[in-house]
Amino acid sequence: MGAGTMGRMVLLRLALTIPILLGVSVVAFMLMRALPGDFAQAAAGTTSISAEALDTIRRQLGIDRPLWEQYLAWLSGALVGDLGRSFVTKRPVAADLLPRFLVTAQLTAMAGVIAFVLGSATGLASARLRGSADWLVRGLNSLLLAVPNFVVATLIVLLFGLYFPSVGIFNYTPFMQDPLANLTSLLLPALSLGLTVSVTISENTRAAVLEVSSQDYVMVARAKGLPRRAILLHYLVRNALTPVITVAGLQLAALLGGSILIETIFTIPGMGQYLFDSVTTRDYPAIQAIVLVAATVVLLMNVAVDIAYARVDARVSYE
Amino acid sequence: MSDAGPLLQVRDLTAAFGRAGAAAPVVKGISFDVAPGEAVGFVGESGCGKSVTARAILRLAPEGASVTLGGRVAYRGRDLLQLPAREMEQVRGRRIAMVFQDPMASLNPVMTVGQQIDDMLRHHQNLSRRAARRRTVDLLGLVGIRDPASRADDYPHQFSGGMRQRVMIAMAVSCEPDLLIADEPTTALDVTVQAQILRLLLRLRHELGMALMLITHDFGVIAGMVEQVFVMHRGEIVERGAVDAIFRDPQHPYTRALLAAIPRIETARRSS
Ligand SMILES: Nc1ncnc2c1ncn2[C@@H]1O[C@H](COP(=O)(O)OP(=O)(O)OP(=O)(O)O)[C@@H](O)[C@H]1O
Ligand SMILES: [Mg+2]
Repeated sequence: MGAGTMGRMVLLRLALTIPILLGVSVVAFMLMRALPGDFAQAAAGTTSISAEALDTIRRQLGIDRPLWEQYLAWLSGALVGDLGRSFVTKRPVAADLLPRFLVTAQLTAMAGVIAFVLGSATGLASARLRGSADWLVRGLNSLLLAVPNFVVATLIVLLFGLYFPSVGIFNYTPFMQDPLANLTSLLLPALSLGLTVSVTISENTRAAVLEVSSQDYVMVARAKGLPRRAILLHYLVRNALTPVITVAGLQLAALLGGSILIETIFTIPGMGQYLFDSVTTRDYPAIQAIVLVAATVVLLMNVAVDIAYARVDARVSYE
Repeated sequence: MSDAGPLLQVRDLTAAFGRAGAAAPVVKGISFDVAPGEAVGFVGESGCGKSVTARAILRLAPEGASVTLGGRVAYRGRDLLQLPAREMEQVRGRRIAMVFQDPMASLNPVMTVGQQIDDMLRHHQNLSRRAARRRTVDLLGLVGIRDPASRADDYPHQFSGGMRQRVMIAMAVSCEPDLLIADEPTTALDVTVQAQILRLLLRLRHELGMALMLITHDFGVIAGMVEQVFVMHRGEIVERGAVDAIFRDPQHPYTRALLAAIPRIETARRSS
């Protein structure tokens, strides 16, 4: 397809994300306020505070006003890039969120790379080698699928905490401070986050490679006398890639969701932990911002997947 | 190894699917020769083992199937069944090329048709990127594709079935093989396109001086295309001879039954 068609497709997809984001923000807004309790009560905790004092806090934060008024106020700010101030820290939410977003972005990116490399390699191996390699990969996959990633994470924490305390898995180090220590401190969390997703990618790669292997054009390639490597790369892998890319892209949402648990378990100061804390304190502006950012990332990734899809497979067109 | 001998000498070829031992033979010991430049036809009903025979010559098997081959397939005196895999890759496509039954499924959907001819040329003939490209465009023109320079950059889905089979033929003859095996090259195409593809094969065979092994389930396709005919039935060759002799005086009842099925196709071809 031509560059023009592609450009229009991307613009259309991007335009479509706007109404979706609006919908997401409304739902997040409503759901948070449907939860029992609010910031004032959460802040008060178990100490007894008079009803008037609680009302004063609510009035100051504006959460005593009608919902639609609160939403419109939030929306008009969000449209010009102002995500409001945190109830807890009183700082602009954007300033609180950015460093945590970067941490989560790094964690999910590492987990994504691990999941993709591990998943496609094992999937390819089990489809091509068959026999015992196939059994081994599929067995491990079933096992990993049966065990949720927070269990894997907890096991890793226990294992390293008991036997290799020197590794220091709870020492999250910022990238700017020591890049190498930063990478090693995120490696185990990224592994426990990526393992479950690698299973999905592995199973899909295996199915795609088997499907492509039985196509006539693969036998044609052999009849042409091409070397095995060229057939594997240009005929098998390139064709199997299309469905795998789609699956991998859709797994990003799973990675973001999983990061909430993983960051809490490994005490990583990322967006997941931030969300967990914000929900606990009913810090509405923070929650709204996190949901909006997460939804934007997932939607943009979907557009990226569509672009990748069209680049790999010429038959895909967006008329 | 003399040039006077047969190009291909097949002796007692057997092919069986399944694990060795429990294998059920589908090709049951067939023997035939193909002389250099000669055209032979294989005729037989669906399922009689024509494709398995054709693939056995190049030692190809469908993915996942375990096929046990027996006998001897001598190409210029060398037994292909005993050749190391590396040397077999030098025979495939370069010495013996093949055109398959279903042109819709024969091309890689994610590569342009030009790339799919290029990769073969560059592998077998060590051509530079530009030289391979030039040759690809020439080949596409040779098989009757209009505006070959720009069509080379199109993807298979942008071609009709007949055009794709032309591309497959261009690919098969790209390295000027000694033998072209065409396994029902026209079965998936409609009647007028069938005739064009057959004429193309005939022309290329004479221009390139290559031997042709034409496989079909209908005698109508064979007429005027080949010198020798082998009639296959249930994995065996039940009748063989010069094409005129068999048309005039078929011996085997099965051959007579096959011949009885042609008139309809002959009239269709004459009127087109
Ligand atoms: N992958 C396979 N596994 C098991 N048996 C097979 C396989 N492929 C083919 N056969 C068997 O081999 C026999 C011959 O098949 P073959 O494809 O050579 O027939 P054919 O003469 O080419 O028929 P057609 O005209 O339909 O192409 C058939 O009886 C078929 O059942
Ligand atoms: Mg066949």
